[in-house]
Amino acid sequence: MSSMRLAFSSDAPAPLSSLAEGATGMVVGIRSDQASHGYADRLIALGVTPGARVQVLQTFPGVVFLCDQTELAVERAIARTILIRTAEAQR
Amino acid sequence: MANAPAVLKLRAHPLRIALVGQPNVGKSVVFGRLTGRYVTVSNYPGTTVAVTQGRAMVGAEVCDIVDTPGVNTLDGAMSEDERITRDAVAGPRTDLIVQVADARNIRRALMLTAQLAQLGKPMVLALNMVDEAFARGIAVDAAALAEALQIPVVELVAVEGRGLSELRDALALAARPHVPAHPHASARAVWAHDLTARVRRVSTLSLAYVQETLARATRRPVTGVPILIAVLYALYLFVGVFGAQTLVGFMEKDLFGRLINPAAIWTADRLIPFALVRDFLVGEYGVITMGLTYSIAIVLPVVTTFFLMFGFLEDSGYIPRLAIFCDRIFRVMGLNGKAVLPMVLGLGCDTMATMTTRILGTPKERLIAILLLALGIPCSAQLATILGILGGISFAALATLFAVVIGQMLLVGWLAARILKGDRSEFILELPPIRWPRIRNLIRKTQLRVWWYLGEAVPLFLIGTALLFVLDRFGALTIIAAAGRPIVTGLLGLPESTAQILVMGFLRRDYGAAGLFALARNGQLTGVQSVVALTVMTLFVPCVANFLMMVRERGLRTGLAIVSVITPVAIFTGAGLNYVLHALGVQF
Repeated sequence: MSSMRLAFSSDAPAPLSSLAEGATGMVVGIRSDQASHGYADRLIALGVTPGARVQVLQTFPGVVFLCDQTELAVERAIARTILIRTAEAQR
Repeated sequence: MANAPAVLKLRAHPLRIALVGQPNVGKSVVFGRLTGRYVTVSNYPGTTVAVTQGRAMVGAEVCDIVDTPGVNTLDGAMSEDERITRDAVAGPRTDLIVQVADARNIRRALMLTAQLAQLGKPMVLALNMVDEAFARGIAVDAAALAEALQIPVVELVAVEGRGLSELRDALALAARPHVPAHPHASARAVWAHDLTARVRRVSTLSLAYVQETLARATRRPVTGVPILIAVLYALYLFVGVFGAQTLVGFMEKDLFGRLINPAAIWTADRLIPFALVRDFLVGEYGVITMGLTYSIAIVLPVVTTFFLMFGFLEDSGYIPRLAIFCDRIFRVMGLNGKAVLPMVLGLGCDTMATMTTRILGTPKERLIAILLLALGIPCSAQLATILGILGGISFAALATLFAVVIGQMLLVGWLAARILKGDRSEFILELPPIRWPRIRNLIRKTQLRVWWYLGEAVPLFLIGTALLFVLDRFGALTIIAAAGRPIVTGLLGLPESTAQILVMGFLRRDYGAAGLFALARNGQLTGVQSVVALTVMTLFVPCVANFLMMVRERGLRTGLAIVSVITPVAIFTGAGLNYVLHALGVQF
């Protein structure tokens, strides 16, 4: 996306659940285990796909985040499976 | 656009055009604009859960327009409403697809476009809500998008009717989109991502401060909980006090009590020589003095005030935000936060809400939600009666009822989650933007619902009253009262006449509620009796319409099973409550 000029950390991607409120980053992927009941498919359909820009809006009681232009609320267990490469020195 | 269909063509069937798109992008608004037919429009995903068809003139041709439930995907894990859309769109009867998209969110829309393209049908892409996108600093190059996809792309502000004539014109130019075939969802995502980057510009400037501040405040616990309490209190004031006390007081005491009923009795006494017919019309169980009085004077005002307030909440985008708070509690009952939608809708009408359970992820969740709706969620008329009767007694009475009902729902839900086989789905919910409701839509929607109430409920009230009249004539009411005595008078400690009200409550929940209301107004119920009777009524079997809907959605066996769970739960809870309240010497 041309509108993004972010510096990315070289660290390994972090789960969305570990990010603080206000943190921004980019979706790297979804860690789906064998027992997944298609939640990965549902997340992809909602736009949580590699390269999508995210911003954490709230972390309690559920995780609320903006993914591209969609505001999504997910339970913590799901937030743990969404891998994010955080932007350095943002805000 | 080479193979554009001719505008005028003789056909065996009218051209069938399906409106498809993500949830909450405005398909129903476009449908209404094209066909002139109103279908309920709200600001949350899952308002439309069934296919609606209407006629529209396009050019010189009459077309069938089909409104469908919103879909995020057409393959992989789908909910029941998504499957309904897939079947409707993929079938041979659909000739043309209009994809309605949220202009802000074309990246997601394009992922769906890629799936729709696989159906090989001519398409038009309608970018709706370009005004909101603009306010949030998002600009989409429609011409570039049309060039890339090789289909007409139209910009709309459907709620204001802007772009609709362009959409009609574009239908004649519909073409098969040029989208490379993608074997997998992630490949589609990459394609959508790249195309979006080419046609969309996002600036950091946003003009939607107020909405964004409200959106934040409603979902944070610190501000969200006080807001929820304020909303509930406003609901109580508007529906419970203004609707159930002021308006009902005027309608029942003044309009019907002083004017209509005396006039009807006066006329009947003079014009009708047969005592039987007179009694049928204006007697104790008269269709005018009881049936019409109940339905028009007691229930209509509360239903109208409720639907107004409820429509406001629906259109503001507030309701889905409650899901964030409810998720953990709902997990205890084998559900996730998303179930807050059918539960809150149940406060309007449990029958409609039973249909809305289609948006839930798994069959187990649907079953539990249907069971809990039938068990514990009072419909609008019942809720208003509860507020009207108990609000007049004391806050403690009201709190007792809600505590008992919620406690029972938690208990039954917890048990059901453990007994029933299957899983719950993960909580993933899209939050709609907060919007100031459009008065036009609010009034239209309330009007539609009030008409629906008048058309559906009033006849049943009259039939119910006629039935009571017949039962009374043949002495069957005394038999019912006698048969119910051990339970009604013995276990529940209620007056004998409550038996017939509970029976009528099955015909329609609000009919029973109105009966209790009349009883309480005449001072025939003590505080404790009111609480017990209303608790039993709230928990008791759903009305016939709700039962039929459960059967339609889940089959006869499940429907009967649900009723056979609910009935003993309701009676034993009422009995237990009656015992405890008396043992503690509570008076309210």
